[in-house]
Amino acid sequence: MLTTRSAYLFLAPSLALYLLFVGLPILQVFGFSFFDWDNGIAGDFIGLANYGRLLGDGVFWTALWHNAIWVVLTLAFPLLAGLVIAAILAERNANVVRWLGAIYFIPRTIPLVVAGIIWGWIYNPIFGLLNFGLEAVGLGGLAGAWLAQDNTALLSLNVVGAWTFFGFCVIIYLAAIQSIDPALYEAASIDGASWWRKFRDLTVPLLRGSTLFLGLYAAIEAMRFFDLVWVTTQGGPGYATEVLTTHIYKTFFLVGDFGYAATLSVVLLIIVLSISAGAFALLRKP
Amino acid sequence: MTKSTRLVQNLILLVFALYALVPVYLVFLAAIRSEADLFSGPLTLSWPINFANFARIWSEAGFATYFMNSVITAVSVTVLVVLTAPLAGFAFAKMNFRGREVLFGLFLAGLVVPAPSVIVALYGNLQALGLIDNRIGVILPQAALLMPFSVFMMRTVMQDVPDELIEAAVMDGASLFKIFLTIVVPVVKPGLMSLGLITFLFAWQEYLLPLVVFQTESLKPLTVGAASLQGRYGVDYGGIAAAGLIAFAPLVVLFLAMQRSFVRGLTAGAVK
Repeated sequence: MLTTRSAYLFLAPSLALYLLFVGLPILQVFGFSFFDWDNGIAGDFIGLANYGRLLGDGVFWTALWHNAIWVVLTLAFPLLAGLVIAAILAERNANVVRWLGAIYFIPRTIPLVVAGIIWGWIYNPIFGLLNFGLEAVGLGGLAGAWLAQDNTALLSLNVVGAWTFFGFCVIIYLAAIQSIDPALYEAASIDGASWWRKFRDLTVPLLRGSTLFLGLYAAIEAMRFFDLVWVTTQGGPGYATEVLTTHIYKTFFLVGDFGYAATLSVVLLIIVLSISAGAFALLRKP
Repeated sequence: MTKSTRLVQNLILLVFALYALVPVYLVFLAAIRSEADLFSGPLTLSWPINFANFARIWSEAGFATYFMNSVITAVSVTVLVVLTAPLAGFAFAKMNFRGREVLFGLFLAGLVVPAPSVIVALYGNLQALGLIDNRIGVILPQAALLMPFSVFMMRTVMQDVPDELIEAAVMDGASLFKIFLTIVVPVVKPGLMSLGLITFLFAWQEYLLPLVVFQTESLKPLTVGAASLQGRYGVDYGGIAAAGLIAFAPLVVLFLAMQRSFVRGLTAGAVK
């Protein structure tokens, strides 16, 4: 390890860019949240009054609830699917792994905006493939306007989110499984352990680190995703798919309430930083 | 493994392969069909491929321009990140200096910062700098938002460079910057490649920043163009499908061609 002051020169370009376009706005957003704003101009210092408004803002609580649901759904579905698929793939030959790995990851390369458009069609009540398929197998009664109904919109969108995310989980889990000592699995096989026993008692506990990483990643993305909702439902119908980011966007760009938009931003920042602090504490524990 | 276990496993692999591919296939199908038989006939490829939708979207709906804009923005962001993040990664991995932990913690915190939560202040700053409706106004913040991940990944990559190599060069009296260029960079080339690819992917996918920064149509990238097309030509499904395909096909091709490099980059920060 070299002890040197030139380190600052090496850091300077990226640090400057980062502080100017991310660090500074974060500090400003904190500052903005203590003022009353009128037409983009800061008015009186009003202390925590903007934060007081949160309590009575039903849309905020609805949005927060939707983000929480999104966190739980993401932890439950794509993460678990990724784990099971990776465990299966680990025992297949290299070509199968390479091809299926690529196929599962393809949705992640598609911009969320485009993913939203594609799935919007699949969910379309008139010509959508989902309703068409349900009718074809005699389940026409289940057909619906998936993104236009209160009770199905959020869940339907989550299927799209999972679509873009599970392949990433496969890749992360697969890399971790491949770094596990094969002797452990051989010993278990000699003892006559079934596939399921090995999965439960070896793979899952040994992948704790990857699970924590993916869990953190999923939770953060669930708190800050925007594109997918904005391009499909814009938070609707009503507030059925409203999330914190869309609430911020609308409050800022459509209502023009700078102070309250900043307050919502601060809340979002505090939530994601708390989640990561918690996850890091768990990661440090052996 | 019993036969039934194997069967269930294969079924799981197949179902998820369909989940991943069917939507992509549908877009492809819609893009190469004519308006008339879009909703009729079996879901099989028709031959010969009909390029009319692509031609219409490319020339009439401005997708040639959107495409060029995506290329310009994504390449600029990538170059900016690849020129700066490795330097910082090198400093964090191989140098000792006052404030090291604090500065690294600062970058680490940035990993989770949601772009929508800085936009409230960033927008005003860009306005003050005259960067609204200007490419620089997207390129710089975009690179800055990708910086925490990039620095973190580069630090992991740089840690694998043997200390002896660097120490020997220091003994010979080489400057640190020269050591970085002539000794470190050649060793970490695969890592730089991964960084470039991932940065390009993320920059190409970006939607929020160009959405709020660009007002002039001729500056907008594919993501914004595709999203607005939905409203403008609400019924031109073949056209929208072609537009979607133009927006993601380069990324899919790039990923398939460079899969190993992508995977190395994605797992660099995660496995250790």
